[in-house]
Amino acid sequence: MLKFEMKKFFLKMTTKVILTAFLLVIVILCFMAVDSVHYTDTDGNELTGISRAAAGRRLAADENKWKGELTPEKITEIAESYHELMQQYQGDYPAVEYGRTVQSYWEILYFASEMFTPDYIRALEDMDRVAEKDIAHIYGAYTDNLKNMAQEYGTTPEQEKFLEEQYGQIQIPVTYKAFDSWDTMATHAEMYILISVIVIGFLAAGIFDEEFRNHAELVFFTAKYGRSKAVINKIAAGVITTTIIYWAGIGILSLISFGIIGWSGFNTPYQITAPYSFYVITQGQRYFLTMVCGYIASLLSASVTMFITAKMHTLKAAVVIPFFMYHVLIFIGRPLSEVTSLSCFTPNVLIEIDRQLRHPHIFQIGNVVFRQVPFVMVLYAIVSIILLPFIFRSYSGYDSAKNLRRKS
Amino acid sequence: MELRFKNVSKKYGEVFAVNDVSYSMETGVYGLLGVNGAGKTTLMTMLCAVTRPTTGEITWDGNDIFKLGERYRDLLGYLPQNFGFYPDLSVSDYMMYIASIKGIRPAAAKKRLKELLEMVGLSKYRDRKMKALSGGMARRVGIAQAMLNDPKILVLDEPTAGLDPSERIRFRNLISELAADRLVLLSTHIVSDVEFIAEQIILMKAGKFFFTGTSDELIAGMEADVWNCKVFGNKVNEYMQKYPVGNVKHVSGGVELRILSKTPPSENAVREVPALEDAFLLYFGEKAGDEDAEI
Ligand SMILES: Nc1ncnc2c1ncn2[C@@H]1O[C@H](COP(=O)(O)OP(=O)(O)OP(=O)(O)O)[C@@H](O)[C@H]1O
Ligand SMILES: [Mg+2]
Repeated sequence: MLKFEMKKFFLKMTTKVILTAFLLVIVILCFMAVDSVHYTDTDGNELTGISRAAAGRRLAADENKWKGELTPEKITEIAESYHELMQQYQGDYPAVEYGRTVQSYWEILYFASEMFTPDYIRALEDMDRVAEKDIAHIYGAYTDNLKNMAQEYGTTPEQEKFLEEQYGQIQIPVTYKAFDSWDTMATHAEMYILISVIVIGFLAAGIFDEEFRNHAELVFFTAKYGRSKAVINKIAAGVITTTIIYWAGIGILSLISFGIIGWSGFNTPYQITAPYSFYVITQGQRYFLTMVCGYIASLLSASVTMFITAKMHTLKAAVVIPFFMYHVLIFIGRPLSEVTSLSCFTPNVLIEIDRQLRHPHIFQIGNVVFRQVPFVMVLYAIVSIILLPFIFRSYSGYDSAKNLRRKS
Repeated sequence: MELRFKNVSKKYGEVFAVNDVSYSMETGVYGLLGVNGAGKTTLMTMLCAVTRPTTGEITWDGNDIFKLGERYRDLLGYLPQNFGFYPDLSVSDYMMYIASIKGIRPAAAKKRLKELLEMVGLSKYRDRKMKALSGGMARRVGIAQAMLNDPKILVLDEPTAGLDPSERIRFRNLISELAADRLVLLSTHIVSDVEFIAEQIILMKAGKFFFTGTSDELIAGMEADVWNCKVFGNKVNEYMQKYPVGNVKHVSGGVELRILSKTPPSENAVREVPALEDAFLLYFGEKAGDEDAEI
């Protein structure tokens, strides 16, 4: 029975049209991802046109000159090279120099500067002064700063201890490998998720709308399993198609993009990107986390739209609700977070995970301290599942006399 | 096998769509006749357990059909008046889907599908998209889907709407074939659809059954005779005002009218054998069905 429900879904014209458009969007996203990596060659020329495709791999090759542990010696070498250049050209070095040297170590130098200060804007301004600092003790400065962060954000002894434990897991010295592709792809995966929650919500809602849209409900609900197994199968079809479409989409996006720009740096610590994040993970794990959160967001979107459609017998609300749940909340979430910490738990958190990973949001109930991201993931995974029986109840309890969409 | 209505009513707001109906049905063909808005569809949706009666009870062999649920729906085949389907599916995909929600195994469903499409004359179109079918073809698929589970109770709401005259005749024969060992309830406002195939006629008006019985009983009970008289063209209106008038036929030198009246409406009036159609005209005050339906 499920097989026929799935067949019905994929044979639908709307499904075909939307999935084709979605695929097109994914291809555009791949293009954007590849296009967002810049590379300047040793002559100071930035790669353009079709050769741009090679930027990711060439950049990684250059940067990987520095791979391995970022020892104080290595950092000193980098900081001094940069300092000299800045001196030589009064702060405005030419593109040739950028292509030859700066490009390969810029990320490392910025990270080094950030180890001295958690203020990322100051870290940027101070990059040419890293050489003047006590690089021999850079990791000491970094651990001190981490300790300060733990004290600042841990408002109770339990929280402070929790933060110290998390920070304690950071491997020092940090092991470096070029990771630009993961950084780029985390951003583009989020763009994909931004679209997929809408597309998936709409398609899943369609599964519960089509009987009413086509006036086929009377045949459906008078069939033997029309109020039992057939409805369960519809719900299953919703969950399965959500899963297939989401993972196929992000699979295509990842395969093409990583295939072109390379996947160097899976194991590079995320801390190089965000030195004071208490999520001690690698770049690859960060990408995986983004994908999983996007999947939960898509499931939630599907559950909510299926539920509303099963209740209202129309798609109309189903299209706008994911939009409010995610996109509008992203916009009002930021000002809202000034007022209430509830904004840490709204569904939009799931689709802007990269921003959340940088923020030290921790909470405490009793003695249990928990972090925002895992909590939100579990919360909405549960909400998505809890909604399913309600979808069943709404749909299978159909009464034609109360049908809101009946044209009489 | 007994389907019974006990004081069944359905109210929409202040309007009774079905008003205190009590009736019992067994195997055989039941023709439900009534004008637009009489409550036929409402009655049928209640019988198919998709509309709950406001008051009263519907039972199958003594059990409430809403409580029987799945077990009752397993016996049911229903062609709704406003028969809708999934436009992007092919005829066979559509049938296989309906078979699946009716709990028929794919292997059995395939066999059944073949038989049914042959029966409704659509074997050639099994791979055609549902949306590419003509209205009449779609309705035939509708009948076929209702038959998929070999139902004990077959409910057809205006099954002949949209069928062409030859299709109508085919359809009538089909129903007679299907009727064996089944309860068939079919609604229409076209008398000829049920005249020869329905063992029981139910006349429904404003939510009530006001006649139930055989076609012969209905005709015998008419309190008027049927007359055929030829009048001048300019007199037609006058007769129309005065009597219920059935067929109007233009002939040389005037117009032939089929008139219902206790007394002869004119000197040259000839007594005719009354038919079901005349009873319909008498009781509903309007002509049964539309002109092109008269075959
Ligand atoms: N969902 C509804 N809401 C409100 N009123 C309704 C609804 N369905 C039917 N009615 C009313 O109930 C009455 C009976 O309608 P029903 O559709 O049962 O008649 P019918 O005999 O099937 O007519 P037709 O020959 O036109 O199909 C009508 O007055 C109709 O307006
Ligand atoms: Mg009707």
